[in-house]
Amino acid sequence: MRNQFLSFCWSAVWLLGALGLIAWCSAVFAGRPAVQTPDLTGIWQGVGIQSLSPSDPSAHKPGAESDIPYTPWALAKMKAEIPATGPNAVFENTTDPAIRYADPDGYPRASIHPMRFKIVQTPDTIYQLWEYNKSWRQIAMNRPHSKDPDISWFGESVGKWEGDTLVVDSVGFNGSTWLDPIGHPHTEDLHIVERIKRVNPETLVFNFTFDDPKAYTKPWNAQLTFKLKTDGVMTEIMYTISDELNFRQRFLNEKPPIPIRPSN
Amino acid sequence: MKGKLLVLVMLLTAFPLFAHHGGTSLYDISKQITVDATITEFVWTNPHVEIGLDAKDDKGNVAHWLLEASSPPVMVSRGWNRKILQPGDVVKVTFNPAQRGASVGRLIKLIKADGTELTRVAAQ
Repeated sequence: MRNQFLSFCWSAVWLLGALGLIAWCSAVFAGRPAVQTPDLTGIWQGVGIQSLSPSDPSAHKPGAESDIPYTPWALAKMKAEIPATGPNAVFENTTDPAIRYADPDGYPRASIHPMRFKIVQTPDTIYQLWEYNKSWRQIAMNRPHSKDPDISWFGESVGKWEGDTLVVDSVGFNGSTWLDPIGHPHTEDLHIVERIKRVNPETLVFNFTFDDPKAYTKPWNAQLTFKLKTDGVMTEIMYTISDELNFRQRFLNEKPPIPIRPSN
Repeated sequence: MKGKLLVLVMLLTAFPLFAHHGGTSLYDISKQITVDATITEFVWTNPHVEIGLDAKDDKGNVAHWLLEASSPPVMVSRGWNRKILQPGDVVKVTFNPAQRGASVGRLIKLIKADGTELTRVAAQ
């Protein structure tokens, strides 16, 4: 009976000690500054570059950039394209799908306007909302990709934080879009890794790695920088096939091949 | 006929600006034309606002021009609004003419009869 009482006492002492240790640890760690999740929220505006090539952002030598490792297929496709803007543009005959067919820009071209996007950040999803054509993508946080992602204009994006950097992994793109206004091509095998960092309160930097073995012999890198806009303004800039065909009718005297919405 | 208009042609540096539509492909940015004109239409539309005008030279010859401006939100940021011009308004307009001779152009600057000056892009 006495031994049982002593055993109970020792157990109680150990239990109280363990509880005390837990309480002490909690107090110590509570005193440390919490690890803050970076805040990317805000309205951001980019610049209107022509090419993602770091060595040729104005697109003076498309197809001959030293930093883009084309496969023969991609090089031939690049050389066959006719951009709508830039130094080699021929607007009337452009093959730019975002102009000729008013197709969605897809990603990352949606960010290559001198226009704005808003980032809305929640614990499980980060949203990027573009004012141009009111398009958007979502970045699902701390989740793997779907087992077999369907293809889409903006792909499937998952993200995670690595310190102060948001790392986004995107797959599942259709092959219909251009990466940029000069026409860098890609296939459905495109895999984009982005490292996104708010380098100072007013500046957001996206570092891209494009991996697409059918289009490029090795991964290549690009960077886009955006500036914070604090006026809260997000506008609507919609562009439809009626707008394109109406412009061609009025400015180029081209007869629309299909019925279109009349000019306002 | 266009040659008979009051024309000011001067060299410009290329605008390092995004142009969703023709830009340098459609318009000769090395040339500027300035005309006194009457507004015939003002179309507040995407992707770019359109301005129709009749310009008369000193002999009474009239040329019709259709000018491309910027997107409505950009125009608003430059002080424009969708009612700022009406058909019949008398204006002085400066623009880049088309590369290939059509009577179209890209707006640079417009001065209303009351002296209000409106531009398509920010001052360079």
